[in-house]
Amino acid sequence: MATQNNVVQYGKAIQYQLAGIVSPIPVYAAFDRNFANEPKFITWMLRNVHQPVYTGQQQSNKGIDRPVFQISIFSQKIEDGFTISQQVLESLHGYSGMFGNPLDGGFFIAKADVYWLYNSYNNEENMAQIFLDCTIDIPA
Amino acid sequence: MALINKILPGYTATLWCQDDANPVALTDTQLSTWTAQVATIVGTAAGGTGTAGILVPVEAVPAFGADDAFAAYSVAGARTGAKITTQNQVTSLTITAAWNPADTAQLLIRDDGYNGTIIRTYVIAVYDGEDTVAYAFNGRVGGLQWDMSPSAEGKFIFTIHPVGGNSYGWSNNT
Repeated sequence: MATQNNVVQYGKAIQYQLAGIVSPIPVYAAFDRNFANEPKFITWMLRNVHQPVYTGQQQSNKGIDRPVFQISIFSQKIEDGFTISQQVLESLHGYSGMFGNPLDGGFFIAKADVYWLYNSYNNEENMAQIFLDCTIDIPA
Repeated sequence: MALINKILPGYTATLWCQDDANPVALTDTQLSTWTAQVATIVGTAAGGTGTAGILVPVEAVPAFGADDAFAAYSVAGARTGAKITTQNQVTSLTITAAWNPADTAQLLIRDDGYNGTIIRTYVIAVYDGEDTVAYAFNGRVGGLQWDMSPSAEGKFIFTIHPVGGNSYGWSNNT
């Protein structure tokens, strides 16, 4: 039997964890309004939150959650973006332990698995971009 | 007793073994005893103390437990036959590890396989960040193989065959 995990805590934990890894580089949820002024920053987006539901009328007959959050890294210098990506990979890929702020709903994750999708360049904004997917295994 | 009370990803399982070249395997009672027995084999990364054990870097911990077995009877004149559960042996674990020729645990297992008679205690530990549940058993190593398929990293494959009818035990840290 398992309860439904709290997605509010997912969001807080992702923000807290990423901010800790890349500090002092700013981290935003989904969108940054100040991108024209900031030479480098990170945004994240959460998707695929889903605990499998097993058979029967008992709502708590569920499994673990394995959501994915995309990390988008923006930088004016391409090398800066690669450096930040390396920081994220070293800290997060294969990480197991407390995720988020233990004093504010942080939780244990069994595994964080980071997958570098691709890097690119946005000519209009003059910003290099790197996209990473991070899957986290959350006990339920 | 504060057992882990949640559903855990299979990823939380790790495999540990005694680190002596000539180990003294735990007794049947010790296999079910966490403090000063199983805890010392499990490393701190999985909630143990790690003073007498080493991590075996396996790709995945295979299914463990006991093999299935029953005696089947046909009963003349009855609507159905019957199955009577019998207790079969502890399951052998065939394990694949990414091969590192200098890895201490893999060298230990290679030497065990070469020796053929060494009985070593292995522990499968499941850890939720605070508490540990451990399944410990004694076994010998057999079936060493190295698979150097060019499409992936080199693999070291071996089987741990448990010894003794009662040579496994459950324990936890609380």
